Amino acid sequence: MIAVDKLCYRSKLRYVNAGEKFAYSMLTLLFCIMSRSFALSMVVLLINSILTVGKGGLPLHRYISLMAVPSAFLILSTLAIIVNISKIPLDGYALPVGAFFITGSKASVLFGLRLIVTAMAAVSCLYFLSLNTTMTDIMAVLGRLHCPRIILELMLLIYRYIFVLMETASAMLVSQKARLGHKDLKTSLRSFGSMGAALLIRAFQRSVSLYDAMESRCYDGRIRVLDEQHPAKPSEIALIILYELVLLVYTVWRRVA
Amino acid sequence: MSKKEKILLKASIAFALLFAVAPAVNAMHIMEGYLPASYCVAWGVICVPFLAAGFISLKKRLEENRKSITLIAVAGAFIFVISSLKIPSVLGSCSHMTGTGLGAILFGPSAVSILGIIVLLFQAVLLAHGGLTTLGANTFSMAVAGPLLSFSIYKLCSGLKVNRKVSVFLAACLGDIFTYCVTSIQLALAYPSEAGGAAASAVKFLGVFAPVQLPLAIIEGILTVVIVIGLESYARPELKAIGFLKEAK
Repeated sequence: MIAVDKLCYRSKLRYVNAGEKFAYSMLTLLFCIMSRSFALSMVVLLINSILTVGKGGLPLHRYISLMAVPSAFLILSTLAIIVNISKIPLDGYALPVGAFFITGSKASVLFGLRLIVTAMAAVSCLYFLSLNTTMTDIMAVLGRLHCPRIILELMLLIYRYIFVLMETASAMLVSQKARLGHKDLKTSLRSFGSMGAALLIRAFQRSVSLYDAMESRCYDGRIRVLDEQHPAKPSEIALIILYELVLLVYTVWRRVA
Repeated sequence: MSKKEKILLKASIAFALLFAVAPAVNAMHIMEGYLPASYCVAWGVICVPFLAAGFISLKKRLEENRKSITLIAVAGAFIFVISSLKIPSVLGSCSHMTGTGLGAILFGPSAVSILGIIVLLFQAVLLAHGGLTTLGANTFSMAVAGPLLSFSIYKLCSGLKVNRKVSVFLAACLGDIFTYCVTSIQLALAYPSEAGGAAASAVKFLGVFAPVQLPLAIIEGILTVVIVIGLESYARPELKAIGFLKEAK
């Protein structure tokens, strides 16, 4: 139902130490947005794609379609940055419309392109994490980073119930569709709303029985789960440190220069 | 056709095609890596007091009644699911609810701030809607500003004895529009326009996203009303348990 969640369980990098993957993607992400450099972003994008598709074994077409998910936002907001309406034409391009110009400077067009590449590289970092690490592993890392226990427990329960509720919701939507419940806008609004209400009622009922089930298994305000241990390989750590150092040096050099 | 007109025509065709392939228009999540690092940190810091308030109220609620943890958890899962489902829309493109307006009306803004950041984290990791670096900015617009406005409008309307359906509609719809305005301003502050500065830039961002967001806000309002009507007719005891309906005296 959620593609990323299914794919990450199939990744060949799934059993690599989660802390290692987390540190790698967070640091790379950080250097990406700190440097905002075209070259660095291209390298990061390339390496992450190789890691996820080549090493992780994700089909390339799935990767491309996943990378296209934020495209609507990317196109719209970059357009808003590089397109100006002004009385004075700027040096990049200018289309006269009445007394005004639809215009932009060369610098801003370049800036927009760089922004697109940076954002795509950042998205590839996010995907490296989410397509190769299961959500439970990420939560275990957050736990080691001293994220409050209540928040982690809520995350664990929410994560579990997302799938339960999604299954319920899609079953309700299918049966509504089978009864022509989505034949036009008006009926589909009514159907969607009644589905939402029914879903929330089911969710409330589930929450009561969930608590009873937890209580009968000696719940005392704390959910204890064992996480699998996959020790990090020293060679991988060394490679990651080397790579991040190169990115760090490049970022600092760009800032100074 | 002059050369310029041809270029314009081609550009508009390309633009339309891009929209045809763009898979989903989300409620306005700022995507991963789109904000400069300093803005990511700043918006995160602004969220901290709201999250702390949410955390404290959550803790108090759990100490009063440990049973409410599962209720709060399923509420969070509900917000995620309702915002990840495609909703019927006018334009034919698929769009999503934010669900935070409904959450704020039902569970109060403090619970929604914590649930919101968890849901946004899951949306970033599982659906690539939003991102980890932009989590602060997105949390402020979707889990703090929007729900706070929704909740105050709802309280104000019920104080003024406005019809409940009207007040729910206004709360959800205006909360959605407010979220979209806040996001536009966040983007504009990070990327002020060359001609006219941040204000002109805000107008541009508002304009670009308006065709998607305005119908979406109205649909979100309608859906929230339908959901609340459904809940009122079938789930009165549950609504009383979460404090949405007052106990009959």
